[in-house]
Amino acid sequence: MDSLNSLIDGFGTALTPMNLLWAAIGVLLGTAIGVLPGIGPAMAVALLLPVTYGLEPTGAFIMFAGIYYGAMFGGSTTSILLNTPGESAAVVAAIEGNPMAKAGRGAQALAAAAIGHFAGGMIGTILLVVLAPTVAALAVDIGAPDYLALMVLAFIAVTSVLGSSRIRGLASLLIGLTIGLVGLDQMTGQQRLTFGSLQLADGVDVVIVAVGLFAIGEALWVAAHLRRTAGEAIPVGRPWLGRDDVKRTWKSWLRGPVIGFPFGAIPAGGAEIPTFLSYVTEKRLSKHKEQFGKGAIEGVAGPESAASASAAGTLVSMLTLGLPTTAVAAVMLAAFQQYGIQPGPLLFEREPDLVWGLIASLFVGMVLLLALNLPLAPVWAKLLRIPRPYLYAGILFFAAVGAYAVGGEALDLVILLVIGLIGLGMRRYGLPVLPAVIGVILGPAAEQQLRRALQISDGSVTGLVDTPFSVTVYAVVVILLAWPLLRKVIIRRGGTR
Amino acid sequence: MRLRTPFALLGAALLVLVGPPLLSPGSDSDSGTRIPGLRFMVPNTPGGGYDITARTAAKNAEEAGLTGDVEVFNLPGAGGTVGLTRLVGERGNGRLAMSMGLGVVGAVHTNQTPRTLADTTPIARLTEEQDIVVVGKDSQYKTIQDLLTAWKKSPGKLPVGGGSSPGGPDHLAPMLMAQAAGIAPKDVNYVPFDGGGELLASILGDKVAFGVSGVGEYLDQIKAGQLRLLAVTGPKRVPGLDAPTLREAGLDTEFTNWRGIVAPPGLSDAEREKLVTLVTELHDSPQWRESLKTHGWNDAFLPGEEFGTFLAEQDRRVGSVLKELGL
Amino acid sequence: MSPKTWLRERSELGFGALLFLLGVLVLTDALTLDADLTGRGPVGPATVPLVVGCGLVVVAVLLSLDVLRGGRGEAEAGEDVDLSEPADWRTVLLLAGVFLAFAVLIGPVGFPVAGALLFWGSAYALGSRHLHRDPLIAATLSLLTYVVFDKLLGVPLPGGPLMGVI
Repeated sequence: MDSLNSLIDGFGTALTPMNLLWAAIGVLLGTAIGVLPGIGPAMAVALLLPVTYGLEPTGAFIMFAGIYYGAMFGGSTTSILLNTPGESAAVVAAIEGNPMAKAGRGAQALAAAAIGHFAGGMIGTILLVVLAPTVAALAVDIGAPDYLALMVLAFIAVTSVLGSSRIRGLASLLIGLTIGLVGLDQMTGQQRLTFGSLQLADGVDVVIVAVGLFAIGEALWVAAHLRRTAGEAIPVGRPWLGRDDVKRTWKSWLRGPVIGFPFGAIPAGGAEIPTFLSYVTEKRLSKHKEQFGKGAIEGVAGPESAASASAAGTLVSMLTLGLPTTAVAAVMLAAFQQYGIQPGPLLFEREPDLVWGLIASLFVGMVLLLALNLPLAPVWAKLLRIPRPYLYAGILFFAAVGAYAVGGEALDLVILLVIGLIGLGMRRYGLPVLPAVIGVILGPAAEQQLRRALQISDGSVTGLVDTPFSVTVYAVVVILLAWPLLRKVIIRRGGTR
Repeated sequence: MRLRTPFALLGAALLVLVGPPLLSPGSDSDSGTRIPGLRFMVPNTPGGGYDITARTAAKNAEEAGLTGDVEVFNLPGAGGTVGLTRLVGERGNGRLAMSMGLGVVGAVHTNQTPRTLADTTPIARLTEEQDIVVVGKDSQYKTIQDLLTAWKKSPGKLPVGGGSSPGGPDHLAPMLMAQAAGIAPKDVNYVPFDGGGELLASILGDKVAFGVSGVGEYLDQIKAGQLRLLAVTGPKRVPGLDAPTLREAGLDTEFTNWRGIVAPPGLSDAEREKLVTLVTELHDSPQWRESLKTHGWNDAFLPGEEFGTFLAEQDRRVGSVLKELGL
Repeated sequence: MSPKTWLRERSELGFGALLFLLGVLVLTDALTLDADLTGRGPVGPATVPLVVGCGLVVVAVLLSLDVLRGGRGEAEAGEDVDLSEPADWRTVLLLAGVFLAFAVLIGPVGFPVAGALLFWGSAYALGSRHLHRDPLIAATLSLLTYVVFDKLLGVPLPGGPLMGVI
């Protein structure tokens, strides 16, 4: 009840005309900049930091919240329309969203993403209000062995996206794992597969991999087989979600936060793994499995909702513990410090107005975001009506800008092209692209947690299974693996009876 | 009327060639401390330590009217050595500076880069920060003595958490502690984490026996009683914090992290002098004093040549520790 | 069947060979790593690369066997893809060349010029033949992008050889 009263006070802060204006400006700027290639939410918040210098702290943070959510949504927009994700949380949205857009259902994909963001953000923020202290206390109990168990579970889930030819799916996964190996070894600082190049020492960014495999690979593949016959424009179709769309997606919107929020709250969770797990879950549960990979709307709705809820989860550990779990949180933490405010255990006591104003403005920001983006979805979708040569030239152009803008290194462009050529080869020989991207995300994370767990236990293998959490997850893994066998046994028994 | 191809081509060429310079504001006058077109490189990601230092310094210099717009940009990679390599490559460019610190010194060693800080023009050291030794509130180690006794007995069983990869400040501090305590640095069980966030969680959750981090990062958690501060690593106690220095605890060592600014090699004396003057005046400005206070940074200003000597000495010290570790 | 068509039908074997080479590369790189000095436990810096490298080699062999037995990867279909026509590798090479030229040129001639060439070249390679319209669109797009990134957002992009001259 206490927090409810504080929240109502917070709404009092957030709903003043000035603060409402800052929230609206933040959402608009965030969306506009998030749409730009190569600029994800962390970069957007960092770039717009100076804009807020003149504001008092409450106004500034309300604007930040708007920018953060706006930029996340903007990233999904390019992911869906142009197959060029602007940030890692939007990678999964491209898998189903882009085929939808190509089939003239871009507006629906964007609407499903927008509502997904709204639902995920709303539920996530409500959980933030209700659960913040509890979740924060639990989050610090999650250690390396527990993360490793979650990664193993995620690897099991990969099998469901390997596609029709297992061997080709595995080849794709291994290509991804190989790319993930590039860079300095986290534990000993030795260079692996960098061939002496310092630029490769931090590894290949997952966004570069995704843009290379999706956007560049696709553009080259289309170039090889361009339909030379009269290029009929992509149909725009109906602008709104139909009744059966809503019927298919409402559960996905609600399921997303269940996966996204806890991952966001734990220190090494992030948004990539929950979006991917949400995608796999939606695929398993969908009645339209055959549409997955060709534009299944659930595959957009669920992951987007999970991504947004994970962003809310991020705020839990940042506000209550001062724990920046993502790059965006780190930038926001820096922003707090600009004002001489130290987020952490004392923040709620010391700056209640600011914190609750910020939380209330998250709700306000989400409403504004939805109000802004739902009507815009059909407008964005019309972008795809421009002639094919311009469309694909534009995709190449913006992918290049994005890769270059991050570090100003021409080498990044060469890496992007090489990964694009790999993507081309994979399309030619029917290797699914998704397992490769997942390999890049999961591989390094799993290796790091495995070795960290062993390091903490001083090399003893029992250190991998010494928590109740990890044991529980491994039990689930065993059941999942044994399930086909168990089912056979059960059926046979049923048959002989 | 239809455009003809040659005209279109000409128009396009004019647009892209002449457009950018015309859109740039007229160049700033080159008088006093003003350096037109000055760019400030940050060798790590937005939100990181060097980033905040650079952006704050640039903002303060602009506010104090010392210079026009300063362009801050990030070139992260390999502990700062990607940025360092670029800086050294910009030989003779008097309009470029890079924020850096002890972490870059270590990264040069661990990555065995051909370009080192000896190749740069040292401008100034700006700030310094002690490291702290902390444990979770439920930890069995109540004092630094408890911790050292247990650590000496079985270093392998006491994992040390730090927010930097091997060669970084949070790695060097426990290694120096171990040396002073008579533990072979190789026996130290150091667990690297990505930045301060994950590290904090694992100290709070008692996943590591103790953690080493910058003093500014966990002030609030210490005040709230979630973390117990056992010692500070610098030469003197930190005002407001109730913890002994390592020396007081009987370890004959000290460790202080620092941040500063370097410029490309091959500058003329006038160019170097100008950058040093700019930074000196920044250091004297009220805006910078205010920033030091809000960020909790300690002033450690050391300009020009003296900073160069300091860099060389730090380089030797870091090199000897890492050599012992075989890195 | 001539050996040429036999090979053409089994060009996927080349992909298998590439995977095999990649596996060998990963394995050799892993073996050059120093023995782990500071780490503990059975998993060192080379363990995961060794597993991945072996995996690549095994998958490469299995994939080749699959191709020899008649298995074929299904080329990806799509709205803009016409699989009935033979592949047009000239366009692909042209596009890759234009992209590579962008990477090489961006330093010396600046972003606006290199970007315009990238867009115009790609559009040309993809079959756009509006000789007077295309360069202007490309130049405008490139200059606009430059202004948004460099001037409005403060993400530095090189302006070109005339910066500071005019």
